[in-house]
Amino acid sequence: MAEPPKLRVLMVSDFFFPNFGGVENHIYYLSQCLLKLGHKVVVMTHAYGNRSGVRYMTGGLKVYYVPWRPFVMQTTFPTVYGTLPIVRTILRREKITVVHGHQAFSTLCHEALMHARTMGYKVVFTDHSLYGFADVGSIHMNKVLQFSLADIDQAICVSHTSKENTVLRSGLSPAKVFMIPNAVDTAMFKPASVRPSTDVITIVVISRLVYRKGADLLVEVIPKVCRLYPNVRFVVGGDGPKHVRLEEMREKHSLQDRVEMLGAVPHSRVRSVLITGHVFLNSSLTEAFCIAILEAASCGLLTVSTRVGGVPEACNVLPDDMVVLAEPDPDDMVRAIEKAISILPSINPEEMHNRMKKLYSWQDVAKRTEIVYDRALKCSNRNLLERLSRYLSCGAWAGKLFCMVMIVDYLLWRLLQLLQPDEDIEEAPDIFLHHHGEKIN
Amino acid sequence: MVTLSLSNKRYTYVQKSASEQSLREAIDIHHVNINGSRVTGFARRRGFAFFLVLLASCMYFFLGKDNPVRLLSWICILSGFLVMLQSRKTVKKESVIIMPTFGIQLETQYLSGKIVSRFIPIGKILKPVLVECVTPVTCYWSLSLFLRGEDQLTLVFKELRPPLKMLVPIWKALCAVIGTDQSEMIVEEEHAVSG
Repeated sequence: MAEPPKLRVLMVSDFFFPNFGGVENHIYYLSQCLLKLGHKVVVMTHAYGNRSGVRYMTGGLKVYYVPWRPFVMQTTFPTVYGTLPIVRTILRREKITVVHGHQAFSTLCHEALMHARTMGYKVVFTDHSLYGFADVGSIHMNKVLQFSLADIDQAICVSHTSKENTVLRSGLSPAKVFMIPNAVDTAMFKPASVRPSTDVITIVVISRLVYRKGADLLVEVIPKVCRLYPNVRFVVGGDGPKHVRLEEMREKHSLQDRVEMLGAVPHSRVRSVLITGHVFLNSSLTEAFCIAILEAASCGLLTVSTRVGGVPEACNVLPDDMVVLAEPDPDDMVRAIEKAISILPSINPEEMHNRMKKLYSWQDVAKRTEIVYDRALKCSNRNLLERLSRYLSCGAWAGKLFCMVMIVDYLLWRLLQLLQPDEDIEEAPDIFLHHHGEKIN
Repeated sequence: MVTLSLSNKRYTYVQKSASEQSLREAIDIHHVNINGSRVTGFARRRGFAFFLVLLASCMYFFLGKDNPVRLLSWICILSGFLVMLQSRKTVKKESVIIMPTFGIQLETQYLSGKIVSRFIPIGKILKPVLVECVTPVTCYWSLSLFLRGEDQLTLVFKELRPPLKMLVPIWKALCAVIGTDQSEMIVEEEHAVSG
């Protein structure tokens, strides 16, 4: 019989498969590595279309697709207290010890963290993106984050830039924030066995075609580069609102045979698209960390990227001849592409891949995250009054409002305990998967 | 003959086997009863509903036309009807009767004495499964059946939500019955092909 798991972690986020993105990948890979280390991991997210209920993924990863309707950009409709019953049920059923929330933009994550704190569970939060300070949306988002993180045990950020950003936005003590960079699945992202010929240089772009990812920069840069270098062609993968602008650019400069638009590329096909190219272009205007660059480097592509956010940190570990940085300005980017094309012949894809294998691995991320969980579990339990004093320091009016919200949450929790005592919630059996079949404990 | 009995605060599970000499195997009956005074109070509820209707008619006839309290009489009548309807919907017991090689019968017995039953022939059942049902506010185990020719799962216990420890023996009994029958069906098909 297998040993009982050491830690029982609940990952909460609005963003999980079948939706595709960096956060989803991070949660999945981290969960798989934690499962291999012997812990139990359960994921909670909202239902995607017909996909509702309990699903099991590779390695026995249990996913709860809770039927709460998403409303804007895949985030659950915020009801503040609506998710308390289901969060309580899942925490008791699975005998969770640590709750790990992902992504500041996820309302489900904030609500679950709030309820978990009310019920006395240890809580960890990971921030994956950089946000602004000035516009109305950001100001409100930052206030919500301040509320969420006021009483948290530990936080994780994916780069030093992201840590600085999170600490400034939320007023969290930097001592509580750990920096664990993302990793890349080097087993999946391998270079092509036969390198494509350099007679025609292919520049690959794979990203969502939105403002944040610099789609407008692409519209400026592509015609300039095509004019300067007749032997360069572009392959653009991904979809989004800026797709129309790129199509217009193709029509205007008659680049239909030089610029290939692939549309949305599923993650399983990203590698096959990358290995057709020599250079990877990333034009993001903001990036906490950039896994796309690591994936491209792992496939042996030379990278050209904008020097924004956490990109220089990700690139610090890569030598100067593997990545070329530029300011997010069309002319500077064209200069960077020129430099990249000139150093292309000296690139060795296999050597780049081997270097990536040593530097980035999800097993390392999981071990470091385990240390964060252990640190969180060692944090002392605080009673309601001590916790309320932390919320009061959030602001003159906001502090009092947050206290009221937490008091009501606490009262609702006690009411739920009266209506459905903790002993009535039956525990779900653990299912351990072995090589030769399943065994239910 | 009671072979197994489990209970918790809400439900009581009883398993009975009735064996007759003419049958090769015993008929297996599994009952899940609701505990508590709300079940035994059917007569009390009827009395309460009748009292409400009586109060309503008294208020209507004896109070003056302009008295606003008369409005209460309509509320009383409505409440009386609702109590009666509710007691008709309240479940007293749900049962699964397993008849080997023949089929299974799912029965729901209501407080008012009404019994709703459904018979499923053995050939129609593909597999019994224990599934976790997730709603916006809770998560619970339920026992369901995959049936031939139907898209949706069929719930064995439609109204009640017994805990997992009560569902597991019923699931095992259903698997045992389906399992033996499936291997017999395969043997029959082979005979049909060769013959």
